Amino acid sequence: MIRNIKLYFSFLVASLKRMMEYRVDCIVGMVSQIAFQIIELVFIWIIFQTTDNIADWSFEHLLLLYGVMMLSISVTDLLFDSTYDIGKRLIRKGKFDTILLRPVHPLISVLGESETSTALGYMILSVILIVSMLIKLQVSVTLFLILKILYFGILGGFIIGGIQTIFSITGFWTYKSNEVVWSVFQLHKLAEYPIEIYNKFIRILITIILPFAFASYYPTLDYLGLNESNLIFIVPLIVIVIWIIAINVWNWALKKYRSTGS
Amino acid sequence: MISKILAIAKQNGKEGLYYRFDLLLYIFNFIVEITVYIFIWLAIYNNGNQIQGMTFEQITTYYILVVSLSPIINWGINEIMGNAIREGEILRELLNPISYFNYYFGIRIGELIESTIVGVLTFGICSILFGVLLPNGILNFLFFIIIVFLAVIVVYFFELLIGMTAFYTNSIWGVEIFKRAVLSIFSGMIAPITLFPEFLQKIANFLPFKDCIYTPINIYFGELTNMEILQVIMKQYIWIVVLYIIAKIIFNKAIKNITVNGG
Repeated sequence: MIRNIKLYFSFLVASLKRMMEYRVDCIVGMVSQIAFQIIELVFIWIIFQTTDNIADWSFEHLLLLYGVMMLSISVTDLLFDSTYDIGKRLIRKGKFDTILLRPVHPLISVLGESETSTALGYMILSVILIVSMLIKLQVSVTLFLILKILYFGILGGFIIGGIQTIFSITGFWTYKSNEVVWSVFQLHKLAEYPIEIYNKFIRILITIILPFAFASYYPTLDYLGLNESNLIFIVPLIVIVIWIIAINVWNWALKKYRSTGS
Repeated sequence: MISKILAIAKQNGKEGLYYRFDLLLYIFNFIVEITVYIFIWLAIYNNGNQIQGMTFEQITTYYILVVSLSPIINWGINEIMGNAIREGEILRELLNPISYFNYYFGIRIGELIESTIVGVLTFGICSILFGVLLPNGILNFLFFIIIVFLAVIVVYFFELLIGMTAFYTNSIWGVEIFKRAVLSIFSGMIAPITLFPEFLQKIANFLPFKDCIYTPINIYFGELTNMEILQVIMKQYIWIVVLYIIAKIIFNKAIKNITVNGG
């Protein structure tokens, strides 16, 4: 286990270094990500021209929630980005066969190949949003709170990354860039807003079936001191359950795997 | 000339439709997007707010139309054009027995076929899920379609201009993102323009992007008189002529000092 984690990080560092070689692409990816997020922030700003709260969430609360989600997304993006295109990049080209020959679980190899230039964009934006909104809402920023935000940010990243990993096995059959993983990932947009606004079906979807709300909504409630249900404490448990499922699903897919022979 | 354009459109459209499963996923993503918008506005309406004389049914219809129209406006030629320039394909394209502008217009129409299918299906499914208002009369619906089509031509020339920056910089990412950002804000994609603060409304009224999304939807609702609609169409024709001339001038200049990478 420890060995696997160590290996994963050494793979990851190698691929991040590879990415840094292309400095211009890196900066472009970062800036574009910030630009797309800013469009959404403009949307939130415009709707608050017509109202002063959404389901009792003020403009500042909503931006804080948004920032918390961005932090989780940045962690997902940094660590698990390679789940997107295993079909196209590895399976179709036969590169996956070499990964199978390595004396390490293939999932570790695959995840270690993550290289993303957008994560930094998400991260910068999320830090700006979280810090400025906490100050504006007059929440005292203690060291404990900062550690808590980091802790739940990383766990949130693991929740979303785990969900992506589960769905990434579709690449074994589609052999191409994985629109399925992207579609599932896009559901995180639902959890960028307070779950009170949704109907029962969507609430169940983003808390129980695909628990995106635990990467944004519940941690935010906790930072604001509004956490009455104490649901925040099951976040580590959710991470463990999701990853147990992810690893088992992957092992099952590996048994079914047939090389394209290229 | 038109038959050549259509032949290219058909070929390009078919390629897109080959990935049918992907198209279904795009539709799924659009439905998620619409869902988020609708529930946010539902929460705002539940607060008892009256929004600029728009009913909740109208705002629901507005966003369903926005998201259904968004691929039609957004799925342009920039990616194909940028790749062609970077990889040296441009050389072959310039030697085609069809002019460069017409060739890419054909590709744009191909994208339009694909995106229209996605848009119509998205609209159909969402109208069942959330309910929509029907267009205010057949005439308004026809004008809606005409104005969207003219908007596609306007946007096409912007795409050409953006694509041509690749002649100089080899990478169109930056400008492309800028276009997307401007388009999604000032076309009314993120919210009806009447809800914008005044200075943003002024900018939106000046730019042609409003007529890509916001104006056609208002025509769909029957908010514009026939006279106003004709004015919009005139304005679009003027933009098309102006942009065509600018694009032609820049193209003729750029083509002289083009460098091809290993093409």
